Amino acid sequence: MNLDSLKKKISDLESNAKTEFGLANDKLELDNIYRSYLGKKGEVNLLLKSLGSLPQEKRKEAGKLLNSLKGDLENSHALITSLINDKANLARLEKDKLDITLPGFSSRKGSIHPVTRTIRDVCDFFERMGFDVEAGPEAEIDYYNFEALNVPEDHPAKDMHDTFYLNNEGLLRTHTSPVQIRTMEQSEAPHRIICPGKVYRKDSDLTHTPMFHQIEGLVVEEGASFAQLKGLLNDFLTDFFGEEVDLRFRPSYFPFTEPSAEVDIRWKKNWLEVLGCGMVHPNVLKSVGVDTKKYSGFAFGLGVERMAMLKYDIPDLRAFFENDIRFLDQF
Amino acid sequence: MQFSKNWLKDFIDIDLSTETICSQLTMAGLEVDSYEDVTSKITGKDSIIKLDITPNRGDCFSILGVARELSVLNNLKLSLPNISSIDSSFKDKIKIKACPEGPSYFGRTITDISVNSKTLPLIAERLKFSDQKLIDPVVDITNYILLELGQPLHAFDRDKLRGNISVRTAFNEEKIKLLDDQELVLDNSCLVISDEESAVAFAGIMGGKESAVSASTNSIFLESAFFKPEAIRGKARHYGFQTDASLRFERGVDYKIQKIAMDRASILLRDTVGGRFSEITSSTLKNQLPKQTKINLDLEKSNDLLGTKISKQVALGYFRGLGFEPESLKKSSISATPPSWRYDLTIEADLVEELARLEGYDSLPQLSLSPVYKKIEVNSQSHLSDLLSVKGFNEIISYSFISREDHDLFGEGVAALEVENPISQNMSVMRTSLVSGLVRTFLHNLNHGQDTQRLFEIGNIFSLKNTKEVAEKITLAGLMNGKVNQDNWKEKAKDISFYDLKGVVQDLLREFKGPYTFENCKIDFLHPGMSSLIKINNKIIGFMGSLQPTYLDRLGLSEDIYIFSIELNGLQKNFSSSYKEFSKFPSSSRDLSFIVNKSIVSSSIENVIKSAAGKFFRDIEIFDVYEGKGIEEEKKSIAISVSWQSTKQTLKDSDIDSAVERIVNSMKKELGGELRV
Repeated sequence: MNLDSLKKKISDLESNAKTEFGLANDKLELDNIYRSYLGKKGEVNLLLKSLGSLPQEKRKEAGKLLNSLKGDLENSHALITSLINDKANLARLEKDKLDITLPGFSSRKGSIHPVTRTIRDVCDFFERMGFDVEAGPEAEIDYYNFEALNVPEDHPAKDMHDTFYLNNEGLLRTHTSPVQIRTMEQSEAPHRIICPGKVYRKDSDLTHTPMFHQIEGLVVEEGASFAQLKGLLNDFLTDFFGEEVDLRFRPSYFPFTEPSAEVDIRWKKNWLEVLGCGMVHPNVLKSVGVDTKKYSGFAFGLGVERMAMLKYDIPDLRAFFENDIRFLDQF
Repeated sequence: MQFSKNWLKDFIDIDLSTETICSQLTMAGLEVDSYEDVTSKITGKDSIIKLDITPNRGDCFSILGVARELSVLNNLKLSLPNISSIDSSFKDKIKIKACPEGPSYFGRTITDISVNSKTLPLIAERLKFSDQKLIDPVVDITNYILLELGQPLHAFDRDKLRGNISVRTAFNEEKIKLLDDQELVLDNSCLVISDEESAVAFAGIMGGKESAVSASTNSIFLESAFFKPEAIRGKARHYGFQTDASLRFERGVDYKIQKIAMDRASILLRDTVGGRFSEITSSTLKNQLPKQTKINLDLEKSNDLLGTKISKQVALGYFRGLGFEPESLKKSSISATPPSWRYDLTIEADLVEELARLEGYDSLPQLSLSPVYKKIEVNSQSHLSDLLSVKGFNEIISYSFISREDHDLFGEGVAALEVENPISQNMSVMRTSLVSGLVRTFLHNLNHGQDTQRLFEIGNIFSLKNTKEVAEKITLAGLMNGKVNQDNWKEKAKDISFYDLKGVVQDLLREFKGPYTFENCKIDFLHPGMSSLIKINNKIIGFMGSLQPTYLDRLGLSEDIYIFSIELNGLQKNFSSSYKEFSKFPSSSRDLSFIVNKSIVSSSIENVIKSAAGKFFRDIEIFDVYEGKGIEEEKKSIAISVSWQSTKQTLKDSDIDSAVERIVNSMKKELGGELRV
């Protein structure tokens, strides 16, 4: 073999290989063709092995030519490979195309009861103001529910609370106020506490359920004033409803506060009672040993269901305890 | 209390719209419940105003009381209607004896009254506007005075009284038949009006039947008395009723108005039924009458508390208007003696409220309260609720009182706290577990087409430790049924099993400190083979399982429901306080499959493997449990993947091989397990 016939062979090989590469339909075919030219036993290697039959001085040039052929074919193979891959990918994309408007496989949704949500909202505000969240028993005794709160035995004020009595001589607390007393008994002033919880009154009609939730707040500090109580409740109601609300304070009566007030908010043109509050009655502070010369205090209580009804526009109180999933799922 | 607006004009010359009057009353603490415009046949345009009076304002249970408030608010003069004494024509034979609990008693006999007379139209109309039934002219007048002046009166049939009258405490088991025919058995805490033979009235509450006036009554004996609030309080309620008289006496009636009321009633009676009037007989124990004590007020302190700048002059004016006898003391002090009709004013704070009330609460300034820094603790209940909500559970809140039947079903025989005066028998037992609430809610929703439900509740449960002491524990419980997921267009969802329940429970338990374990249990309402106790730190904190089939039958259910319950008291939050480095070396694992007796539970296999696996043991995972074809009956195959890892080196095959050998030997020795090849 001489150099010229080698050159001819190289040129044939190159054009054949490129033609065959170009005809390959897929990666597998292409790789087979590749191996037939560039594999261990491929055409290029066979030629390489035949170089020995060339004269010594031509071998170097022939080697160069073959290496360049090899490089050329490698490049060409790489190019075709990527073309084939692109084509295959395009075909796959076409094949994989989904109806993305079909619904996803989502899991069921749970919910937090609107009463719990409301309690969280309220407590959040007061915790940011530095109040501690406190709890107390629901099965109470007369002392904490009435006596320590300045409601003596047989007092007509007890009529305001239709009490459920228990077979252990106790009662179901009619308000969250006993937590005030328990907290003040257990720790020293000053106090800032907020006490959410269930309360019970013997009352059941369209607007009353025998169990409901209240949140009681108490501040006992030096210089605690009625003006602060007004300011705090104004700030709270704005925070809770997310906008300035029109509210009014009017005198009321609770045995454990003096002066006492009721807070109404304007709701769809009417005044609605949402909160009871007042300066803590000196008798209450005295009963738990708070120094009334040094400290004064104010307290407030609100009905959670009432607040939730306003915030979420729920028309029927009884929905809270019916626990219909169609209701719950909306929260 | 409800009344005609025009009636107020007998006391004050007020010319304001009903709306303004109502707003003034509400803002002064006499809440107007509602008002309604009406036309009076006698006075023309009128309104009926309905008040919700707080228990401290007994003085406002009368037109006089309401008019007095309005007179102060509008700076009007308050005058009483005609109360001049009328001429008497004889001396009454009846003698009266008051007592410490009923320290003031005025009486008068009126004979020869006209049986055919009619109640005056104005009185009749006003009573009607006040929702009072018309009875007969005499009783109507007593009711009219009660509304007008707040003094309850009583008229006895004079001919039915036997001898003198005294106010006394009842004898134990003394019987009395009242006007409304109820027969009471009194005790010595009750006060009665008595003639010389027996009790003729339940004092301050209701008259007796025997001495009641009737259509044939010819002579009456009229009573206008004062009874101490504490002698009347709770008495009628004790017998399950209340009257217009008891309502007023227990809140406190003006102890100086009895004579005035007697005179006023006499005038009206004379004008209606005529008759001959005796002189007024009375008995008053002066030192037993309520004592109004002087209250000192530091105006400066009061202004500080309210944020006001009320001057001494203004304050004295307010108190005078309210009927106090105020005095100016040194510096910023005032002293004031409350009037005889106010029982709610005893301390300085009470006077502060009067000032605030008359200033108007709305006009008092407001100040923001400054926040105080404190660390906000994460509420673990909120955290658990959120976790369950993400898992698809709906939070419910059910009543804490349940029916006896539900307690018998789900109460596990725990001694329950009971409501003595329940609203209904369905709400008479305090729940000792949350299960019945979940099940009842489940049934409600099932009836409304909810086939798959996930419910949970966090609430207190109650039990009696002995006859008096209550254990109240905060508990989290849940219920699940139906499918694992929702069906979708590609595949149908699987039914849930015990292990789905257990998965939820485990996820919850991970939130608490301490190792948790499960143990077979016997709970009446749970399937004995599909239920478990839940323990943390080896202490029982709850249970879980599938509802017992007989319970399903009883509740009319055809599919399983699963329940868990965990007591939250005493559980500690599990949060890591420091980072633990993980190994940089690869872990090695081996899959081992053992044939064991069916009765051998997986936890005992896990325990054997853990203790045999050596110091590099990392984790164990059961990935298949198989019974049936190819396995002997009474046996099962359990496939386990065990992994090892060192923090210091890559483990060699030989390390693992020897550990596997130890496991195989232990399994054989301790559980008779054979490695399945």
